[in-house]
Amino acid sequence: MKKIFLTLLFGVFLLGNTQAQELSHERKQAVDSLALEKVRDLSKYIKIIGSKETPWSEANRVIDRAEELFAPDAEIGVSSLTTNEVQYYKVRQYLERLMRLNYDRVEIDWYKIEYVSDLQRQPDGTYVGVITVFQTFKGFDKEGRLVYQDTTKKDITVYVKRKETQIGGRLIGFWDVMLGDMRVKETSIK
Amino acid sequence: MKLRIKNFILVTILAFVTIGGTTSCGSKKKLAKKEYEAKVAQAKADLNAIIEGTTEWTLEEQKARVEEIEKSDLQNQEIDALIVKAKEVLARELAEAERAAEEERLRKIEEENRAKAESKTSISDYFAIIAAAPDAETANEKINEALNLFASPDVPVLIIVYQMGDIIDFDAPTTAEKYLNYIKDQKSVTVRVNNVKYDDNDKITELELIKK
Repeated sequence: MKKIFLTLLFGVFLLGNTQAQELSHERKQAVDSLALEKVRDLSKYIKIIGSKETPWSEANRVIDRAEELFAPDAEIGVSSLTTNEVQYYKVRQYLERLMRLNYDRVEIDWYKIEYVSDLQRQPDGTYVGVITVFQTFKGFDKEGRLVYQDTTKKDITVYVKRKETQIGGRLIGFWDVMLGDMRVKETSIK
Repeated sequence: MKLRIKNFILVTILAFVTIGGTTSCGSKKKLAKKEYEAKVAQAKADLNAIIEGTTEWTLEEQKARVEEIEKSDLQNQEIDALIVKAKEVLARELAEAERAAEEERLRKIEEENRAKAESKTSISDYFAIIAAAPDAETANEKINEALNLFASPDVPVLIIVYQMGDIIDFDAPTTAEKYLNYIKDQKSVTVRVNNVKYDDNDKITELELIKK
């Protein structure tokens, strides 16, 4: 009898705990959108950094902003149609290479930015998910001829954790979104 | 004979003095009466002007005049009645003046708040202008202008991403300078101003935005 009572008590505790941790549908949607927005922000940053029309100082400022989106040790994969290998770079290294690419004009576009794996709550309270993107890359020479192009499908791991901070004497609860590794899944000519 | 003449002169002098003295006292009384009547007439005129609101005196001057008439105690029933009436009128007008002053004070506060609200609108305007800037140089000029509205470029900018009852979720806090540059980079505005805090110089010390 005592055993049954203890089991029931533990069950009620577990149920209560789980419910306290779960976000309402609307709130979860807001978190999903926020993480997706960070990836869209990154796509704009990549476009600005890659563009040869961006002034050097602006490109460097944007590199700082883009780097802030990533977790400290995150890596970005780079593929090419000429090799089968995928090379991984630290975020800053990748962005600086992107700024210095040896083309006269570069066009980078990201599309189909969507969740491939929804944000799932981990035991430590962090929500982890995977967002997939398609990137088209076009490099032009000084005559304006297209000399290289590819389309790459990339998966980006996203980490979202609720944090708190004091601002103006007020406790602010915020969702900290961090991008993790950006892995190359497919590369094709298009 | 000499004594008779002497007596006659004395009597004559005495008569003159007596008659002359009586005439002088009567004049004085007449003068006092005239002065009194003039005072009463002036008091009536002033009190009636106050009651009818035809005087150009200020309320303070009117109040002082009524007090002056009351102190002079003219012993006149009509004046006493007019004093009571004038006091009532003045009390009403003073209350009205106080109400008008309070209204003016509130109007000024409202005007100040409207001015602040307009500066809030101008932040929104700057957001739109920066997002639509044709190039980085133009956008940077506008960012510098917009930063003048803030107490410093590091003023916190908070963005509400979810709000339901007591639960408020923010995006990671940023700064005014970083957020204005963010708008420049993203070329779009996806927020509206929710709340603004100002310092004594009417500079923004905290900007709270909410997702549209």
